[in-house]
Amino acid sequence: MNNSGSDAVMVEDLEKRFGRFVAVDKISFAVKKGEVFGLLGPNGAGKSTTIRMLCGIIAPTSGYGRVAGHDIFSEPEAIKHAIGYMSQKFSLYEDMTPYENIRFYLGVYEVPQEAWKERIEWVLDMARLQDVRYRITRELPPGWRQRLALGCALLHRPEILFLDEPTSGVDPITRRSFWEFINTLAAQGVTVFVTTHYMDEARNCQRLVMINEGKIAAMGSPSEIIAEVFPCRPEADLSDVFIHLMARRGE
Amino acid sequence: MPGYANNPPRNSHFPQAEVPAVHLQDVSKHFGSIEAVNHVSFHVVGGSIVGLVGSDGAGKSTLLRMIAAMVRPSSGTIQIHGLDAASHKTGIKPLIGYMPQRFGLYLDLTVEENIEFFMDVFGVFGAERAKRKERYLGFSNLLPFIDRLAGALSGGMKQKLGLACVLAHEPKVLILDEPTNGVDPVSRQEFWGILGQMRQEGMAILISTAYLDEGEQCDQLVLMHKSRVLEVATPEAVQSHYSSLEEAMIHRIQEVDEGLMHEQFGL
Amino acid sequence: MNPVIIKAIARKEFYHLVRDFRSMYLAFMIPLLLILMFGYALSLDVDSVRTVVVDHDKTEVSRDFVRKLNASSYFEITHHLNDSSTAVRYLDQGLTTMAIVIPPEWTEDLKADRTASLQVLIDGSDPNFAGISRGYITAFVEAYNRDRLISFLNRKGMEVIKPPVDGRIRVWFNEDLDSRNFIVPGIIAIIIMIVGAMLTSLVIAREYENGTMETIRSLPVGGGELLLGKAIPYFLIALIDVLVAVFMGQVLFGVVMKSSFSLLVLASTIYISVALSLGLLISIATKSQLVANQMAILITFLPSLLLSNFVFPVGNMPRIFQLLTCIIPATYFIDILNGIYLRGLGIAHLWPSYLVLVGMLIVLSNIGFALLRREGM
Repeated sequence: MNNSGSDAVMVEDLEKRFGRFVAVDKISFAVKKGEVFGLLGPNGAGKSTTIRMLCGIIAPTSGYGRVAGHDIFSEPEAIKHAIGYMSQKFSLYEDMTPYENIRFYLGVYEVPQEAWKERIEWVLDMARLQDVRYRITRELPPGWRQRLALGCALLHRPEILFLDEPTSGVDPITRRSFWEFINTLAAQGVTVFVTTHYMDEARNCQRLVMINEGKIAAMGSPSEIIAEVFPCRPEADLSDVFIHLMARRGE
Repeated sequence: MPGYANNPPRNSHFPQAEVPAVHLQDVSKHFGSIEAVNHVSFHVVGGSIVGLVGSDGAGKSTLLRMIAAMVRPSSGTIQIHGLDAASHKTGIKPLIGYMPQRFGLYLDLTVEENIEFFMDVFGVFGAERAKRKERYLGFSNLLPFIDRLAGALSGGMKQKLGLACVLAHEPKVLILDEPTNGVDPVSRQEFWGILGQMRQEGMAILISTAYLDEGEQCDQLVLMHKSRVLEVATPEAVQSHYSSLEEAMIHRIQEVDEGLMHEQFGL
Repeated sequence: MNPVIIKAIARKEFYHLVRDFRSMYLAFMIPLLLILMFGYALSLDVDSVRTVVVDHDKTEVSRDFVRKLNASSYFEITHHLNDSSTAVRYLDQGLTTMAIVIPPEWTEDLKADRTASLQVLIDGSDPNFAGISRGYITAFVEAYNRDRLISFLNRKGMEVIKPPVDGRIRVWFNEDLDSRNFIVPGIIAIIIMIVGAMLTSLVIAREYENGTMETIRSLPVGGGELLLGKAIPYFLIALIDVLVAVFMGQVLFGVVMKSSFSLLVLASTIYISVALSLGLLISIATKSQLVANQMAILITFLPSLLLSNFVFPVGNMPRIFQLLTCIIPATYFIDILNGIYLRGLGIAHLWPSYLVLVGMLIVLSNIGFALLRREGM
C-alpha cells in the first residue's frame, strides 16, 4: 500500500457526463478503512454511475479520486484487483455449478493456482454451500445465490468490497444474516461500500452519503443526518429523511 | 416436524361479517413430491390490506398464484366473493387484479397504450375509459409521462404503471406479489398511498412483501414459513413484546426450525 | 371467443410490429427485394449466348454462316478473333461463354461433300447455362444443315423434299418458356413463409422472454383469442405482400394470371393461415426468440425454397426428399398458383391442393392450441 493515509476511497469533485446529461455532479467524499459506508439515493440518482467509476468500470469525466491507493483515471486495472464487486444481479453464471463459478472467478482474479483449493473450501464453507457445490446455480434459492456471489467477490481477499443493492428482493432473515456477515468482514478490516435505497440496510452503515440528481444531499452518520434534517423531530427515522430530501425530483 | 399443521391460525375479528372477498379453506399445493403450500386457511375482507410475509421459498408466490386462479390447488378450496377459483376461472378474473412478482409490462408500448391494452381486454370503452385512465394514471403521477415508452420509465414508475394497469378494470380483489422490490422509498410511499386509497374504497388487498416497514401498514399479517402459515394476526399482535416486527418474525421462524436458521429453503 | 379481447390483442400486436424496425424490414423490404432479385437477377432463362468466332476459312460461305449465327437472337457475337489460342484465353477469363472455330478449308470440305467439322467450345462452369448453350448451337447447326440440303436439292432442280419427320414442338402452359412465369408463384409462396412463419415465430416467445406471458395469463384471455389476435396483423401484412407481388409480377415482368383472381386470394388466405399457425406453434414450443427464429428458417423457409419444386425440380431428387415435399405446405400452394398462373385451371382441378392446405391448417392450429392449453392458457 502507498501513502494514501487512512482513506480507502477518496473522491474530489468527481463528475460524469453522458453527452449533455450530468449523471454525477462534482461530488466529494471519503471512506475510511474498515468502515461500512452507504451511498443512498432513489432510482436514477447516480448511485450506479458512481460505484462503476470507483470500481474502474467506466472513466470519470473530470475530478480526482483514489481507490485502495490507486488513481481511478490512470490505474483502473490495479483497482479491479484490489476490490471485490457484487451487483444486485449477482453476476453469476447460472448454468454453472457454484464450484465452477468459484473456479472461474479464481482465474479471472489471477489468484495463484496453489491457493485455489484452500480458497474454494473457504468460500464454500463461508457461504454454507458445501452440500450443493455440484448443483446448477440457477436451481439454488435467491439467498444462497447471494451468498455465492458474495463469496466470489471475496475470493482474492480484496481490501474493499463494493455492494450494489445487494439484498434487493431477499427475505428479512437472509438479509439479517447477510449483514451480520458484512459486519464481521468489516471488523476484520475490510472496507465495505454499499449502495441501496432500503433504509433498513442503510441503518447498518456507519456513515452515509445521500445523493439526488447527481448531487450530495446529506452526509454523515445516520443519527447525524436525522438530527440535521429534522432537528425538532426526535422520532423521525431515515425513511422520513430520505423522503424529505428526495421527494422533489424531475423524473 | 413441528405440529403447526393442526394448529388453526388465530383468526382475529374482522370488522364486517359479510361474505369475505377471499376465503381459503385448507388449501395445499404439491409440485411432485415438493410441498409448496400446506393446509392454509385464512380470509380477506373488503376494505382491508392483508400482508403475506415470511422466508424466501415459504410458498407465498404459489399461494398468491392459486388465489389469482393461475394454478389449481392440489386440495382445499379458494373462494373469491363466493365463487370457487378453480372451477370459475373465467368468472373470477374480472373480479381480481393480479400483479405477479416480475410483472411484465410491454416496454415497447407507451404508458397510455399499456393501460389501454388492459382496458381493451376487459372491454372498458367510451367515457368510462377516459375517466379511468385519468384516475389511475393520476394516482400514480404518471399523467405527465403518458406518451413515454414503458421501457424508458424508472423502476418505481414501472411498478406504479403496473398497479394502474391492474386497477383499470376496477377489481374487487387486488393480489400483489412483492410489488415494491427494487423500488426507492419515495415511489414506495406513493405506491402504498394508492393502496390506502383503494382500501378506503372497499377493495380487498393481498400483498406479499420482504420489507417489514410495509408489513406494519397492513391490517392483518399472514406469516408463512416452509409452506405453512405460522400465524394470522394484526402487525401489533405479531410483534407482541419484541422490539420490531422483523425481530418477532425471525424469532417465530427460529422457533420452528431450531438451529436450522438460513437453511430453511427446502432442499 | 370474445371479439373484444381478440381486437385488444391484435391492436397491441400491431403496436409491437410497427415499433420493431427489424420486423417491419422483414415484412416489407425483404419481399420487395426478393421479387426484384428473382425477377431480374436470378432469371433462369438464357437470352443470348455471348460468342466469339475464329474464322480460319474466310470465304463467302463461312462469313454467311457467321452472319446467320449473329442474326439469330440466341447468339451475340462479341468478337472476331484471329486464332484459337486467343479464343481459349477469352473462355478462361470468362470474357465469353462460347467460342466457335471454323477450320481452314471448311468451305472446300463442304463443297466436296466431306464432313466439314466445326469446333465449338463452351464454358461449362455453369452446367445449366452450358447445357442451354449447347442445345442452342446444336439446333442451329441442324437447321443450317437442313437449309443447305434443301438449297442443294433445289439447285439440282429437284423438288423440295420435306423432312420425313418434322417434330413440331409446342410448349404448353408457358409458351415463351419464360421462367419468370414460374418464379412469381414461387416468390409469393416464399414471401408468405417469411412474413407468416418467421415473423410470428417471434411473437409468443417474446411474451415469455419479457415476462408478459404471466400478465396475459392473469387476464381473461383464452388461448384461441391470444392466437387469433396475434395472427391478425401478420395476416393482413402477408396479404398485402401477396397483392404487391402479384401486382409487381404483372407490371414489371408481365406475368399475368390465366384464371381467376379470387381463387388466388382464397389460396393465399388459406396458405397464410397455415404459415401463421406454423409460426405460432414454433413460438409456443420454443419460448425463445432466438431458437424460434432458427427453427422457423430451418423448418419453414428453407424447405419452401428448396423442396417445393420451385428452384429445384422435385423429380430429380432422391426418393426420401420427394416424400418430404409431400408434407411441405408450399408444394401445394405453388401447385395451385401454377394452375392459376400457367394453366388457367379452375377449382374443379385444384380442389385437392386446397383441401390438403385446409387439413394442414386444422392440424397445426389445433396442436398450437393444445400446447397453449398445457401451459395453462
